[in-house]
Amino acid sequence: MKKNSTLNRLLVVLVFLFLYTPILLLIVFSFNAGDSSIVWKGFSLDWYGKLFNNRLIMQSVYTTLLVSFLATAIATLAGTFAAIGFYAMRRRTRNLLNTVNNIPMMNADIVTGVAMCLLFVAFFNYWNDFAAWFNTMQRFVELPMLYMGFGTLLIAHITFNIPYVILSVSPKLRQMDKNLVDAAMDLGCTWMQAFWKVILPEIKPGIVSGALTAFTMSIDDFIISYFTAGTSSSTLAMTIYGMTKKRVSPEVNAISTLLFLTVLMLLVIVNVREAKAEERKARSASLPVYGADYQPPKKSVVLAKKAATGVLVCLVIGGMLVIRHSAKAERVVNVCSWGEYIDESLIEQFEAQTGITVNYQTVSDNETLYSQLKTGGADFDVVVPSDYMVARLIAEDMLAEIDYSNVPNFDLIDQRFKNLSYDPENKYTVPYTWGTVGIIYNTTMVDEPITSWSAMFDPKYAGEVVMIRNSRDALAAGLLYLGYDVNTTDTAQIQEAYQLLADAKAQGVYQGFYMDEIFQKMEGGNAAITMYYAGDYLSMLENNPDLAFVVPEEGSNWFVDAMCILKDARNKTEAEEWINFIASTDCNLANMDYIWYASPNAEALEQYPDYYLETYEEELDPGIYEIMAAPEETLERCTLYRNLPAEILKLYNDLWTKLGI
Amino acid sequence: MSKELIRLRNVCMAFDDELVLDNINLYFNDKEFLTLLGPSGCGKSTTLRIIGGFTTPTSGDVIFDGVRINDIPPYQRQVNTVFQKYALFPHLNVYENVAFGLRMQRLPDPNDPTGKKKVKIPEEEIHQRVMEMLEVVSLKGFEHRKPEALSGGQQQRVAIARALVNRPKVLLLDEPLAALDLKLRKDMQIELKRIQQQVGITFIYVTHDQEEALTMSDTIVVMDKGSIQQIGTPEDIYNEPKNAFVADFIGESNIIDGIMVRDNEVQMYGKKFPCLDGGFAPNEPVDVVIRPEDIDIVPVSQGQLIGTVTSVTFKGMQYDIIVDFKGFKWLIQTTDHCPEGERIGIKIDPDGIHVMKKSKYSGMFGDYSSFSEEYDEMGDATLASDEEDSADEE
Repeated sequence: MKKNSTLNRLLVVLVFLFLYTPILLLIVFSFNAGDSSIVWKGFSLDWYGKLFNNRLIMQSVYTTLLVSFLATAIATLAGTFAAIGFYAMRRRTRNLLNTVNNIPMMNADIVTGVAMCLLFVAFFNYWNDFAAWFNTMQRFVELPMLYMGFGTLLIAHITFNIPYVILSVSPKLRQMDKNLVDAAMDLGCTWMQAFWKVILPEIKPGIVSGALTAFTMSIDDFIISYFTAGTSSSTLAMTIYGMTKKRVSPEVNAISTLLFLTVLMLLVIVNVREAKAEERKARSASLPVYGADYQPPKKSVVLAKKAATGVLVCLVIGGMLVIRHSAKAERVVNVCSWGEYIDESLIEQFEAQTGITVNYQTVSDNETLYSQLKTGGADFDVVVPSDYMVARLIAEDMLAEIDYSNVPNFDLIDQRFKNLSYDPENKYTVPYTWGTVGIIYNTTMVDEPITSWSAMFDPKYAGEVVMIRNSRDALAAGLLYLGYDVNTTDTAQIQEAYQLLADAKAQGVYQGFYMDEIFQKMEGGNAAITMYYAGDYLSMLENNPDLAFVVPEEGSNWFVDAMCILKDARNKTEAEEWINFIASTDCNLANMDYIWYASPNAEALEQYPDYYLETYEEELDPGIYEIMAAPEETLERCTLYRNLPAEILKLYNDLWTKLGI
Repeated sequence: MSKELIRLRNVCMAFDDELVLDNINLYFNDKEFLTLLGPSGCGKSTTLRIIGGFTTPTSGDVIFDGVRINDIPPYQRQVNTVFQKYALFPHLNVYENVAFGLRMQRLPDPNDPTGKKKVKIPEEEIHQRVMEMLEVVSLKGFEHRKPEALSGGQQQRVAIARALVNRPKVLLLDEPLAALDLKLRKDMQIELKRIQQQVGITFIYVTHDQEEALTMSDTIVVMDKGSIQQIGTPEDIYNEPKNAFVADFIGESNIIDGIMVRDNEVQMYGKKFPCLDGGFAPNEPVDVVIRPEDIDIVPVSQGQLIGTVTSVTFKGMQYDIIVDFKGFKWLIQTTDHCPEGERIGIKIDPDGIHVMKKSKYSGMFGDYSSFSEEYDEMGDATLASDEEDSADEE
């Protein structure tokens, strides 16, 4: 064995490197001054600061902690008593139940998640139908409508935690001398007293480790939460996931670092506890025999301990009550948007001004939003879909008409962004942002300025091009290059665009098809050319000044994301207040500065360069502003996506699958 | 001896249609050391658990001091138990283990004339009684220790102290010495008897070890298959076993088929032997018990019976020799050495012969054909572990 020791050590080092490099990298970049995950710009704690001011994250940390604590407490209680019940059963029944108990732990989370989601949706459907009927039949009792939310999230967490508690309490019960309970009862305990005085101290280590496991599982869970949280609550893991869809902000690094440290701490606590128990055992054996009179522990010490426990319990319960009170605001509005798509101080401003609590959630993309709205359980009031999705929602009668007399700031919207194709009479929408799609390229990696979509298919740039991983955008590039309309329903034209893509792919033009990774690829100089959104280009530019953006001469796609109110919104008045607030010039300026996407507010568009000068004390580069808010002549070359008919959507899907990425 | 304290009347116990106790009638006197003795599964532990209140009999009455207590839970009975493997509370030290019962007790408040108000035992009194009891079991100075840091014998003493500190009227002991090694077991037997005499209460002791039973008991109840086989003093049980089972279970016995020709004369192997028993019908078939130490070896010419030595085992104080009498093998314990293969004669005094009525156990015991020491010990070991297994199931 000895001659291999160097090799062994090397192997161990490699294994640890493999395991810990990603985490180390994440921790290091959480202290990065810049906003890149690749380019180091010096040490700073900014991201941690931002983290604690990030409402969305703080809210989800709070949700996560609350659900974890509650689920752990309830699951520990239920699991402990279940384990005791199992223990009292006959051996065969017990073994059977233990096996049944183990299955949920082995089961794929996604199956558990989907199953619970289906159950909740089905049950709530029937319940809500019944409640609606019941409420119309009489006026004495009003049954509430039920939606997925914190309650269902909690139920799901309790459900998947219980087996872990049972699993860790059961062995402690089995190890326990069976006569202990009899002995306690023999010495004057009722069964309940025996439980508190004898069983509980005996199985306490099992309960504690079960609770810790449950807590860790709860904090850690993403998949089951994702399916059961509904739309009004979001756990930390869900929020992080939402944030990574657009790009990995270093805030994610910071919160992940904190999460990692929390779990690490929990692990250390568990291990130290075990080590201490061992040590105590060893020490107890070597205690000297006392000649002097033994005195039991002082009453005051016991009392102090009890008092401390009492205070802790009161604090927890009190805290929960306060939380519950604060969560029960009179007026709320449920908003669903994209990740990193608002200056969050605006939410606080709105709440302070109106007293309405904003429940701000995010989803990753239009399609996810659509499926969430369709599967039910969602209880959003305001959503911010993109143009083509707005058209689809209108077509499917899922949006409510807005009462524009409640939204006076709609008048500030530039005429260019009213009555657009997706909402020709402008009955349903107030635009939120707009922008163009174009080609982003690294000036040091190409010979000449790029002006045409041909660059996306040119074998000259083999291996240097990153194609967007989205069938609509990718095929649009082909259609535009070929001179066709991006909304064409001519299958031959679409086939032709597909062929262009397929050929380029066969010739090795594409390094890959990506969404989020485009940031890393372009910022790190790992790819020369890609197509993406103008606003995101500006974020990339901060980390790599060699990048350039162009709206190709053939024209391009431009998009509008618009605020809409859902047909079944429960807080329509509050929703209109929110929309009016966001449509104001101040809000548009703040948002524009924060997310780099152009505002549809005419005043804001005009005032932004001055706003920039005032805020940063330097001139806004007019070239940059032109990219952010495309001028009239550029916009004329661009087309909005329309909602395509179902058979064309299917063709897109089929071709995308055929392309095989 | 003294007044009756506990009586079991027509007690039956069934688990899953299996009769564990079959119509037990038994009484226990105050201040007596009584042992329930029998092999694994005989129902002795169940009997104890019924008295302790951990099990409710299927039918029959448990009467304590004249009151039926079938439905009284264990924590309201004036009975305490020392469990198999002690069942000490692992999270409490010796002091707290012993104090446990006292801390649970609530006494009528002396300042409350209605007597409804209950108070705890004052801490000073608890301390005094615990220390007193630790003194009784010679464990002073071990108060701080956790049970895991004690030897088996010390744990045993803690268990006894924990039960006795409550001043019960009856102490139940469920095979308390089974987990100790031989030397410690012998010491503890004497210790237990001393403690019982010191505190002067009834001990009901369960064991499968006949030697333990004979050493300590005032009264022994021999049980088998859920029924009582015999009740009596150790001497009665040993000298006058009621049937082949008792004769075999208590000590070593040669049990031979015989015919009671008339009072004071029994016939074995076609020969008549004088004996001291009577009261049988003329020529009634009987079981004859002859203890191995009651047989004298004599020259062949003087022997009442003549047989061949088939094996000899040296046991220190004596030899165990197996002698073949017409195909039936006897165990004889003697201080004389007889080589294997020798033909010897034997002589039995009239008081060495004990005649029993035929029973369902006749023919099952008392032949040493398959005798070997290992066999015997293995039998004991399986007895002990069987007992645990059967307890597991309940």
